[in-house]
Amino acid sequence: MSIQRRTLMSLAAAATATAFATGPAHAQGEDIVLGGSIPMTGVFAFAGIGINAGISDYVKIVNDAGGIKGRKLRYVPEDTGYKVDASVAAFKKITGANKVNLYYGDSTGFAKTQILMAGASFATEINNPQKYPYQFLVGPDYTEMVVILLKHIAATKPGAKVAFVYSDSEFGRDPIDESRAEAKKLGLTVATEIMTPPGSVDVSGEVIKLRRADPDFTIFHGYVLAPIPEFVTQMKKLGMKSQFMGTFWTMDNSMVMKMGEAAEGFMGVMPFRYHYETDAKAPMLDKIRQMRPEYQSNAYMQGFLTAMLMTEATKRTLDAGKPLNGKNLKAALNSIANFDTGGIIGTPITIKGNSIPVGRIYRADTKTQKMVPASDWITVGK
Amino acid sequence: MRIGAAKESYEADAALFDTRAQRGWLVVLAAALAAFPFVADEYWLYLACLIAINIASATGLNILTGYTGLVSLGQAAFMGLGAYTVAILETTLGTPFVLNLLAGGVVAALGGIVVGIPSLRVKGLYLAISTIAASVIAHFLFANLTLTGGTSGLSVPPARLFGVALDTSFRLYWLIVPVAALMLLAAANLFRTRIGRAFIAIRDRDISAEVLGIPLLRYKLMSFGLSSFYAGVAGGLWAYFFRVVTPESFPLIMSIFFLAAIIVGGMGTILGSILGAVFMTLVPELLKLVVGWLPLSTDMGLVLSPVRTIVFGALIVGFLIFEPHGLAEIWRRVRRYFHLWPFRT
Repeated sequence: MSIQRRTLMSLAAAATATAFATGPAHAQGEDIVLGGSIPMTGVFAFAGIGINAGISDYVKIVNDAGGIKGRKLRYVPEDTGYKVDASVAAFKKITGANKVNLYYGDSTGFAKTQILMAGASFATEINNPQKYPYQFLVGPDYTEMVVILLKHIAATKPGAKVAFVYSDSEFGRDPIDESRAEAKKLGLTVATEIMTPPGSVDVSGEVIKLRRADPDFTIFHGYVLAPIPEFVTQMKKLGMKSQFMGTFWTMDNSMVMKMGEAAEGFMGVMPFRYHYETDAKAPMLDKIRQMRPEYQSNAYMQGFLTAMLMTEATKRTLDAGKPLNGKNLKAALNSIANFDTGGIIGTPITIKGNSIPVGRIYRADTKTQKMVPASDWITVGK
Repeated sequence: MRIGAAKESYEADAALFDTRAQRGWLVVLAAALAAFPFVADEYWLYLACLIAINIASATGLNILTGYTGLVSLGQAAFMGLGAYTVAILETTLGTPFVLNLLAGGVVAALGGIVVGIPSLRVKGLYLAISTIAASVIAHFLFANLTLTGGTSGLSVPPARLFGVALDTSFRLYWLIVPVAALMLLAAANLFRTRIGRAFIAIRDRDISAEVLGIPLLRYKLMSFGLSSFYAGVAGGLWAYFFRVVTPESFPLIMSIFFLAAIIVGGMGTILGSILGAVFMTLVPELLKLVVGWLPLSTDMGLVLSPVRTIVFGALIVGFLIFEPHGLAEIWRRVRRYFHLWPFRT
């Protein structure tokens, strides 16, 4: 499975046509529409369901508080089954029936549209405002995630040996080239790089390679869960002391705990706080727990924060008296500086380009079955 | 056979459309297809284009599997070959789209002929597995060649016709639907020729066919080549339609989709390819519409999402059990009923 830019550009064509329809300023009082191609079934459903709940909850909070400057925020989702053609169909359907201002895509793409867009992908390629002017990533891109990990490694054990283990997919290969260079800059040694075929189960060959390289830290990327537990268990059996680390899609609490005993001490980068965290500076988490007392995934947080940032951008655009098109909305989004997310992200955020390059290292504690903070919030920047 | 349609020559007997009523309805259909873009919105236009592409590819698979009796699970890979050929030609040489589509078809056809070589020795499930192997190899090549842009794939500029960029569903409709119609017509005519009849003979009993003087290797490979040509052109249209081609654009599940389409539609009939592709593409979307009409909260809709998939699956199984000859057979029965109406068979 991978999370990549599958529908990238595919929509661009037809989307330009819709752009003309959605471009002009809307009359006061009209609903503001947040459309969504959300994978509520299929292989990526575990994330889609969370994203959907997160967006719905924040939209409800906004509307309960009177909407955005008196205008109701309306969320129009459509299931895609994580299929490109269904995703594009959903996009056409939603943009055809509504005047859409904001859009959440299950992969990425929809570039060139005059609609402010975010999605479930953290693809490094999207983090390019020239190429994707109306798009943003809710969190750091995959490269920035790995760089946050590397920064943490360099701070805790200067000169450490690092290994990259990644899947042979667009998602997996995404951060590797840049991360290699970044590791060098930080004075770290890249001991080995192992690319596993997609969907591989037997990793014993790779484990031997990894053992020979004997890295102090092993960073996994391009997986959700399998084959990480297999790697970790086999390496531990061999008596290796390497510290294992993951990126966003692996880092959901329930996902890490599925590794069982192997989870103990597993670390990774997370741009958002976990659902169960209590902090004086995180009132929004209290609010979320009021709405949903049961544990919500990191995908939920991603959806929730996406809706929050889109709302903020809309508010700022309306305040400036400008029409709600992609250009103005993105400019408003980029004017966000030292913004308090209510504690979803534990540090005030500034969105300069297309990403929010902030994250924190968490460590798995199998006794409490929770991911606990292992570092302060780390900001990286291009 | 309907009454009042006596034939006086062999030509008339072998005609594709043999009655005046049939030709009349064809004109109506053509008019409806031509009028459709002007009344439909973006969403329905998009679906129409997608269906037309799927029909083209399903027809190709039907030539191979339905008419020649060679099971293939490589259709998506052949579409990938066509799509990549179009993408590469469009980005590097910028040749006209007609040429690119033809090249896509030819490259896919060559690929199909190579993949078809084992078909002389293996049949049925064994052949299906060897075509899966082909699609795995194709996927590997797409993901690892520099020419194909690796895992991130290629972005395709829009097709251009007299300087007009075909970049909306409305404009692409005028490319995709006529091409699909032309391919359908060609396929229908194919089975009025010696080649098409040889395919059918091979399907019915390959040994007897050889005894009758049909060189198996040549005709089996020809069937593979033709089928892949269709897939390649459909893949090329796909590339112009979605404008991005990645190794993951043509997964194995897509081959299964086309196989399911021709089985549901009716193997060995042109109408079956059409009905099957329409069914497989449209029913999931229609189910979404139906669920959308139900007065449900968003949470309830979420619960119903998997149910929709189950209903779709149940429909397919239902068709296989109650109408093993596919939708085409249902269509034929309905037609027969109206031919005799108000009398009953």
